[in-house]
Amino acid sequence: MIVPLSHLLIVASMMFTMGLGCVLGRRNLIMILVGVEIMLNAVGLILVGASAYWREVDGQIFVIFLMAMTAAEVGISLALVVYLRRRKGSIDADAFDEMSG
Amino acid sequence: MNETLLFLIPLLPLVCGVLNGMFGMRAPRLFAETLALFGVATATIITLLFWSYADGEGSRAVLYTWATSGDLQVDIAILFDRLSAPMTLMVTGVSTLIHLYAVGYMAKEKDYARFFTLLNLFVAAMLLIVLADNLLLTFVGWEGVGFCSYGLIGYWYGKGENADAGRKAFLVTRVGDVFFGIAMLWLFALTGTLSISEINQQAAGFAPAVATGLTLLLLLGASGKSAQLPLMTWLADAMAGPTPVSALIHAATMVTAGVYLLCRLFPLVSLSPVGMAAIALVGVLTAFYAATCALAQREIKRVLAYSTMSQVGYMFIAVGAGSVAGAMFHLLTHAFFKALLFMAAGCVIHLCHEENDIFKMGGVARRASFVFSLFMAGAICLAGVPMTGGFYSKDAILLAVYAQPGLLFKSIWLLGSLNALLTAIYTFRLLYLVFGGEARGEAGHAPGGLMVWPLLPLAFLGLGGGILNLPVLVGGNEWLHHFLGPLAGSVPAVSHANEWMLWGVATVLVAAGWFIARHFYRNVNVPRENVVSRFLLAGWRVDELVERLILVPFRALGRFCWLGIDLTVIDGVLEGLANMSRQAGEKMRLAATGRLPHYVTAFAWGLLALLGWCLWRLVSL
Repeated sequence: MIVPLSHLLIVASMMFTMGLGCVLGRRNLIMILVGVEIMLNAVGLILVGASAYWREVDGQIFVIFLMAMTAAEVGISLALVVYLRRRKGSIDADAFDEMSG
Repeated sequence: MNETLLFLIPLLPLVCGVLNGMFGMRAPRLFAETLALFGVATATIITLLFWSYADGEGSRAVLYTWATSGDLQVDIAILFDRLSAPMTLMVTGVSTLIHLYAVGYMAKEKDYARFFTLLNLFVAAMLLIVLADNLLLTFVGWEGVGFCSYGLIGYWYGKGENADAGRKAFLVTRVGDVFFGIAMLWLFALTGTLSISEINQQAAGFAPAVATGLTLLLLLGASGKSAQLPLMTWLADAMAGPTPVSALIHAATMVTAGVYLLCRLFPLVSLSPVGMAAIALVGVLTAFYAATCALAQREIKRVLAYSTMSQVGYMFIAVGAGSVAGAMFHLLTHAFFKALLFMAAGCVIHLCHEENDIFKMGGVARRASFVFSLFMAGAICLAGVPMTGGFYSKDAILLAVYAQPGLLFKSIWLLGSLNALLTAIYTFRLLYLVFGGEARGEAGHAPGGLMVWPLLPLAFLGLGGGILNLPVLVGGNEWLHHFLGPLAGSVPAVSHANEWMLWGVATVLVAAGWFIARHFYRNVNVPRENVVSRFLLAGWRVDELVERLILVPFRALGRFCWLGIDLTVIDGVLEGLANMSRQAGEKMRLAATGRLPHYVTAFAWGLLALLGWCLWRLVSL
């Protein structure tokens, strides 16, 4: 393996943290979804890297599944965003506070 | 014939009452009236048909076993013996006449079905008391008459004071019932049975102190129903009910239930000299109390109510003196003439345009001579004019007391004789004020035939009631005494000379009473008021005494429990807890902001904590 595993882990953790930061920090629903995507891709990166490191094919198969699932998730999430935008005329996460106690 | 058929006697009025309650208002009026009459009239006929079953030891019939639990076995059993048979005949016979009268009296009443239902149920419950051979069954009847009495006194419940009178009667008699209930439980603990005949058989084995305690408890129980001291306050107010009710319940039957109970358990009661003395003492004090109150009353029915109390007091004296025959004799004659007096008073009230005040009546004798003769017949029985039924029965009691040794019984005799004088005074006062002189109020309508003719047999029974137990002195054979046989109690041993002397005293007292009443009331039209008469009119202010001694402290206690315990302590604790939860909830509410970033942040912190914990576990391994 050309790239050492530790580098891979560092990059993936950074990606995951950035994604989390995006999810936590942004208020735009689409940006939150983007953050979620980044976190998922960080996980996918680790799966591929680990698969190469241990020379086992399972991780790569798993990534394929992960991608398919992500595609479905994005489809549903964007549909929801469209629906919410129609309801309130906004995609600001703070606009949807009906669950407030 | 089978003796189980004896159950028909209480059952017929019961069934007719229930039918009347269910269908009385839907059927024609005649149906309800006929049904009510049918129930009591057939009960009378059956009592007569089965009269021979009372001979000897009497007949005991068991319908079925009501309840069994451990030692306790309660049979639905009745005892038709020499004590209960005359009582049953009196109750059914007098009730029949009163029902007839009631049909006339209630002719214009709209809510007649309720009246006849309660009247029939009352008779059924009363017959249950009389016939039951089981204290628990007696108690059922005992409470039944109490309930029906409550319903009938408050029959015109639209007026608040009538409903109050009903409640008062119910509550005051209930106080006595508690003591009866305690006596019943004690008897069960001692004998293991509730059967009256078995209790009477085993009574001889009781310790004297136990017998005294039981007798006093029974006396208190009987006092409640029979309106004796100290539970007598309800009877005068009970006159709020319709007149047939006063005649049936508060003169002829229910008030004598206490006397009957003491007679029924006489083998037990007679074991305690202290108890017997207490019974006689309660009787004579009540008789005196009620007679003095009757002197000053202004309402015709209240005079009669107090006289009932007084006469029932005489019956208690008889039981206390050991003469069950005397008590039963007076009970029977009193039932006849007092029912007669009450019903005649109902006619008089009709004649005087629904006026109750005797000072606003007057001159009724001239307007309605027949009613006057009937009332007169009852009144001379009540006053104890020689040769009437009331004279013989009252003198039998005074004779029995006189025959008892000891200073106590001699004083009771003295006070009893004084009562005879007072009785004569208030009876003749009533006669003079109601029937003599000129009319002082409006004239009402004449009572219908149904309200007058049933009184005639009662008048004959009252006047001739002496035949039931005519003393040997005037050629009688003391039939009732011999009929009761072993149940009759002690025989007063008095010489003929003494007996004549007592009769002479009684005659002189009646004459004196008549002269006194004539002197004071012949020409008096307006009530004279002074401190004494106001005191007597208010019934010695016993109601106020009860108010101060019992009701005020009770209300204070109730107020304390309400304000001091319920509202402060209990409500305080509960509401404090509720407030604490509510405030905690308010605080917790703030955590739920509804904002997505907050939730996700919390989620991230949670994840961090979870990962941290896993890491720590990993390291520590």
